[in-house]
Amino acid sequence: MTTSNEASQQTVDILVIGAGASGGAATAWLAEAGFNVKCLEQGYWQDPAKYASASDDYEFEMLTNWAPDPNVRQRDEDYPVNDSNSPVTPVMFNGVGGSTILWTAHTPRFHPSDFRVKTLDGVADDWPISYEELEEFYDLNDEVMGCSGINGDPANPPRSPRQMPPLPIGKDGKKLISGFEKLGWHWWPSDSYINSQRYGEGRDACNFCGHNHMGCFQRAKSSTDITYWPRALRSGATIETGARVRRITTDNSGRATGADYIDSKGNEKHQSARAVIMAANGIGTPRLLLNSASDSHPAGLSNSTGLVGKNLMFHPFAMISGTFPEKMDTWQGPLGNIGLSQEFYETDKSRGFVRGYTYQFQRSLGPAWIANGGFRDPVPWGEGHHVELEKRLGSVMAMAVIGEDLPEEHNTVDLDPELTDSDGIPAPRLNYTLSKNSRDQLDHAIGNAKKALEAAGAEDIFVDPMMRQSGWHLMGTARMGNDPDKSVVDKWGQSHDVDNLFIVDGSVFVTGAAVNPTPTIQALALRTADYIVEHRQDLKG
Amino acid sequence: MINETSRMNINEDLLAAILDRLIPAVDDVPSAGKMGITAEIVRLSGQQARFQGIFTKAMQTFESANSEFVLLDVESQDDAIRNFESKEPGLFNSLLTISYIVYYKDTRVHKRIGWSGRTPQPEGNTMEPWDDSILETQRKREPFWRKI
Repeated sequence: MTTSNEASQQTVDILVIGAGASGGAATAWLAEAGFNVKCLEQGYWQDPAKYASASDDYEFEMLTNWAPDPNVRQRDEDYPVNDSNSPVTPVMFNGVGGSTILWTAHTPRFHPSDFRVKTLDGVADDWPISYEELEEFYDLNDEVMGCSGINGDPANPPRSPRQMPPLPIGKDGKKLISGFEKLGWHWWPSDSYINSQRYGEGRDACNFCGHNHMGCFQRAKSSTDITYWPRALRSGATIETGARVRRITTDNSGRATGADYIDSKGNEKHQSARAVIMAANGIGTPRLLLNSASDSHPAGLSNSTGLVGKNLMFHPFAMISGTFPEKMDTWQGPLGNIGLSQEFYETDKSRGFVRGYTYQFQRSLGPAWIANGGFRDPVPWGEGHHVELEKRLGSVMAMAVIGEDLPEEHNTVDLDPELTDSDGIPAPRLNYTLSKNSRDQLDHAIGNAKKALEAAGAEDIFVDPMMRQSGWHLMGTARMGNDPDKSVVDKWGQSHDVDNLFIVDGSVFVTGAAVNPTPTIQALALRTADYIVEHRQDLKG
Repeated sequence: MINETSRMNINEDLLAAILDRLIPAVDDVPSAGKMGITAEIVRLSGQQARFQGIFTKAMQTFESANSEFVLLDVESQDDAIRNFESKEPGLFNSLLTISYIVYYKDTRVHKRIGWSGRTPQPEGNTMEPWDDSILETQRKREPFWRKI
């Protein structure tokens, strides 16, 4: 879908870069408030009938053309990421909906303590906002995306009623949680942005196909192309797909004026705007800001502190899997939406580290995925192959450890001196090492996961101490804060350097908590959009 | 689109011999090299970015070090594969991955392991509905999130 040339030449109020989780939310909110909003998205609209989940060859498609790692997928709309200096590879999707197309839609919230880690634990920095300030935007986002879940979780503050009841646990889920019950440890059914019943515009209930991470054929899994974007377009927002941004442009005073981009036919274009919102994720946003260096911003846009691209946080995942003696059809039901445990979430310094971790319970998939080492090592080749494959198929359950990865300035996204995308735009390069605190967290989690799996009856436990393809959560590379010398944006997501530049993706995270970040990213995007509506009417033409 | 250059450079007899050792015969399903899946492996490896180049390189590297592979006895073939796996893990991985993918696409294999082998869309699967009673123990627990 492409806007007309006439429209692209008009100055818009707000230009949003990226149509994913945060870009969709911000665009809809601003368009509904009467702003003239245009979004540039380098990917395209997706047709659910063409998702990997709809193909008989879905195991091949999932591991290739629909692989979450852009360096594996290598679509025309993807850009390469040099990850040779990182033990974690980036995982993302480029298209309308962004990475919500391929996410598992497991949607826990930050805890109140996550916003106060400096005060409580003496590490990193406090956020300039609190859980309570964000709560109303979490609720608004839940309503639009649609949350299945249930209140009463003792590990979290009370919440507004969920839109839908929880997804079924399944016999495999019951088996796994039995270990936690025996040990007296916390577990709770996941909040998930997956319909347990019809909800939203033309969105069915989940049919438990088990393929939600390959794009949801049923439109039961929430992604912003089917939630926020229909609202945004109805309110007059426009989106140009196949539009790859080269740089954010600025005037002599250093204010943002729009973006130079390459359209889907390869034409160089410029879109002028009164303000720009960056929503290109924790790698794409710093890449673009660094690619936008100019006379007025010689170190890159909004980078007077030199902090753009620094403090990269992932959630390094350990994966602990168990093979159970029972056949449980573990390919049925959403892959990662059974439940979670936050028994070890809050700091207990007697453990030898600060902060904590979440366990996200996982099912497993089909024979090609199992053979190729889904959640563990590949099934050995040779004489023992068939016995081992049959042992694992339908019987492997796993626990992903999401540990809180604290910010460190040496973990960075910068521009690769040689690697470029297909349009010759410098590509991002990752430099990342796992901290001792994060390693200690993961090791602690591995020990406890083994206990839980054994208590549940698993017979063959396998530990991946850090999954390489696990960089879903891209955070911290343009952090927010009250001090312009120590942060890139203020508490509203507005650049300290450029008053008409905003950032709404995971780049602004001060710390990463120990949960999947998307509900927090979207709540922050809505909050920034709300700030613009309330305080920046000057940006409306 | 098939990468014809890659296809021309692949020794499919060699590939079949390797497949026979990677995935042996079981029950009424022949070993992978005798299933006629080599052409599909070559086709897919030329079609998708993940395997383009690396699969061809894997086969050529293997062949250059094991030109007489098809003539060896099975123990020696296994030794040659293990040696390749040890010396060229990245190349070996690409070969093993695409071999497993294509093998487990085959209807004969599906029938044997009881796998439907087709997308579950749109009917999906059936699961027991949510049962609130499983939260009985957890609901008795006092809130333990850290208040600030």
